[in-house]
This record gives sequence, structure tokens and C-alpha cells, in this order.
Amino acid sequence: MSAHRIRIVIRRHLYVMWRAPHRWFDIAFWPLMDVILWGSLGVYVAQQDATSKASAPFLIGGAMMFHVLFQSQIAVATGFMEETWSRNLMNVLTTPVTEFEYIAGTAILGIAKVIAALTVVSITAYAFFGFDTTAVGWDLVPIALILMIVGWGLGIAGIGAVLRFGQGAEIITWGSNFILMALSGAFNPVESLPAVLQPISAILPSTKAFDAMRQVLAGKPLPVHEIVTGLIGSVLFVIAGFTFSWYMLRSFRRRGFITRFS
Amino acid sequence: MGDPVLEARGLRKRFKSVEAVRGVDVIVHRGERVGLLGPNGAGKTTTLLMLLGAITPDSGTITIDGFKLPRQRSKAMTKVGFAAGYLPMPDRLKVREALGVFAGWYGVRHPEAAVETALERFGITELSDRLSSRLSSGQRTLVGIVKATLHEPTLLVLDEPTASLDPDIALRVRTSLMNYCEATGAALLVTSHDMREVEMMTERVMFLARGEVVANDTAAIVASTYGHDNLEDVFLSLAETHRA
Repeated sequence: MSAHRIRIVIRRHLYVMWRAPHRWFDIAFWPLMDVILWGSLGVYVAQQDATSKASAPFLIGGAMMFHVLFQSQIAVATGFMEETWSRNLMNVLTTPVTEFEYIAGTAILGIAKVIAALTVVSITAYAFFGFDTTAVGWDLVPIALILMIVGWGLGIAGIGAVLRFGQGAEIITWGSNFILMALSGAFNPVESLPAVLQPISAILPSTKAFDAMRQVLAGKPLPVHEIVTGLIGSVLFVIAGFTFSWYMLRSFRRRGFITRFS
Repeated sequence: MGDPVLEARGLRKRFKSVEAVRGVDVIVHRGERVGLLGPNGAGKTTTLLMLLGAITPDSGTITIDGFKLPRQRSKAMTKVGFAAGYLPMPDRLKVREALGVFAGWYGVRHPEAAVETALERFGITELSDRLSSRLSSGQRTLVGIVKATLHEPTLLVLDEPTASLDPDIALRVRTSLMNYCEATGAALLVTSHDMREVEMMTERVMFLARGEVVANDTAAIVASTYGHDNLEDVFLSLAETHRA
């Protein structure tokens, strides 16, 4: 593993971000819109029922934490897809860069994207709805960590799908975070999900994170058991993503799928 | 002749019912220039992609400058420069930025200086600040070749390097490549459909047909073996024979 090559992966994607303003939509525009959408919905619900737990802080908190997962996932996935879109995959595969170095570079870039998106969410939430993120404090850090690792796992699995099934499989990347958002109860307790989906929800590490977030926002102490379970689950999740992609890469090389991208 | 910089033995590859490569050996010695030729479907690209680690062979061994694939792929790739006429450079990056990225990945100590030198070597310093996506196909090919030489590899692998170039540019590329190989002692493995070019650039040619090596010698000897006086006629007769 070479730190130098990882740095170059980051630099390669910073060039792209610099020259592709639409990439900033993911980091700035969507977080902004999510805060406005979910914040307004929360205010409306609170106006109807002042005791409702679906008030603005819970929904904004959900949007904020969802963006941790979303940003870390798309940083990893689009980092790789950038090579397929610009037909550069063959060039990359014939350099000394290893799969781990490439993913590490995009994952680190993902941390920067998460920070940028959270800054946008925090400022907007405070300016429009008076939601002060800093009041929640450091309890959000382990929650965000779980979601960031889950995002990496999802992004890595998405890469595996594209390697194996071609660019059509990008839909898995774009859709999977929304599936996870729904199943993990980003905005609502999982008890409100259809009964048939609740067992799936219960085993997702992201569910633990969103649940912990709601408890913290409700003024309760950080649920340590949920956090520890979530962290272990997220590590297992990312290992599963890696394992899936590793097998897909093997299949990609065995079946000669590189010709699809060159 | 030097020791082998590329030694691939017994390469086999099957895609479903098609046996694309059937027991091919590719040996390129240090400083040697070899042409890999054959009609469409002969197995050239599959062989090349296996040599670069992009496709895993069903059986066979590949060693590049002492490093075995696939286990030591990363180290092996520090010794290889690859370019193909059909491959673009990354979008949204200026030429010098893209080359700087590749130089970094190849572990070049002073990337900016290496990029400058490589661009000068091929006479395209004026493209340095142009976006990769705005290059003509000929310029793209040239930049690809510059990329392949940035780290002064011991083995250059070029797939159809002059396919999209005007004759004058193609000549420039050929001359620059020959000078480069001469100056650095790099070995060259090149595929091309331009038989005249192969005769000029290489010291030995390997003809593939239906996944097998059917000829492996100097261009003159291969041509005479088949009763011709040039590679073009050998190519045509092989293509005819193996199509029948």
C-alpha cells in the first residue's frame, strides 16, 4: 500500500471536481434541498401536532446523517465510475495502483465531501430552522462514523456490480442508498415500517445509527450499546462489500470484461 | 541478446466455447523490439491484455522483469508502459495534469520534469495545457505514448499505436519510439495492422492465428518461409488460410 499513490488518486479526483461544477451539486445543492424539504415538512407536522416526534430537528437530523452515508458512498462509487465514463479504466489497470489504494483514495476524498456536505446542512439548518448542530455535540461523531463506513461498503459493492454487470449496474449505486435510507429508518423509527421489512431493518448497522441519532436529539444519552453494535455491523458491512467486489473483480479479469470499458 | 524482460509461457484463454488463446509463449528480451501480428480474432488483444494483467489466463505463467503476475502485478507495472491508439486520457484533466497523475502512480521522483521531458521527446509541448477531452485522435495517441514512456519502463507495450494518425505524424511517432528504445534500452512489444510499419520498427515478429503462434522470427525469414517477400503478403495468406 503506497500513501503516495493514494494521494495521487485524491489529486486526480480533485482535478475533476475543479472542472466539473455539476459535481458540486452532490455536495452543496442536494444537502441544501434536503434540509429545506425535510425541515419544512417537520415544521408543518409540528404545526399540526405540537407533540409530534416528526418535528424539524428529527427530520433535519435524519437528512444530515443520511448525507454522511450518501456522500461517502458516492465518493467511492463515482470515483471508480469516473474511470469508466472517461474510458480510462484500462490506463489505470496498467499502472502500479492497486485496488486497495484506489478505493482508499476515493474513501478519503469521501471524508472531505462528508465534511463539506455537513457544513452546508448545518449552516442551512441553523439559518432556516434554528437547528443548532453544535448543540448536539460530539455524540454525532460515532453515529456519523457508522454511516460513513456503511457508505464506503455500499460504494465498494456498487463498484463490484459495475465491474461484473457493466455500466447498466450503476443504477444499483444510485438506488441502493435510497433503499438503505428507507430500510434504516433515516426519518422514522423502524417500528413504522411494514412488518415484513422490519427484520431486514433490524440487522442493518445504519438502523442503529439513525436510532441513536433520534435518542440523542431527544436529549437522551448516547446509547452505547447501539453504537457498538452499529460499529461492528458497519465493519462487517464494509468487509462484505469488499468481499463481493473482490470476487467481481476476479470474475471481471477472468471473463475479460475490460473490453467493455475500452 | 539480453535476458527476457517479458516471459510468458503456455498462455491459454477460453471464453465460453471459444478458445481465444491456445498455448502461446511470448518472450521479449531486454532492448528487443517485437511485433505481435495476426488477423482479427487471432488472439492478439487477449494475449496483450493477459500480459498486462487485465485478463487472467486460464493457464500459463507471466513474468515481467522478474515480477510474476498476478501476485506482483503492481511491481510489474512499474516496469511496463502501455498505450493504445483507441484509449483516451482522462476527461477534464489538462494534458500535463493527466500525465502528472500517471507519473505519480508510476512512482516518478520528479513528475513535472518527467512530464516536460517526455512531451519534448515527442515534440508536443504545445499540448501541455490543453484539456485531454479537446485533443484530436492523433494528439490523443501521442499523449498516450508519452504517458507510456514517463517512467522510462523496461518494456513498452503498444496496441495499434499509429492506427489513427496521419502518415507524417505516424512517421514522427515511429521515429520517436525507435529513438526512445535506442536511448533507454527499453524493449518494445507492438501490435499493428500496418505491416510496413512493423517491418520498420521491429527485429522479430510473432504471427498469431486462431490463438496459436504460427510464425516467430525476423520479418524477412517469416516472409520467405511463407514464400513471400513482405509481411503484408504473409498476413494476407495467413488470414485467407485461417478463414477457410
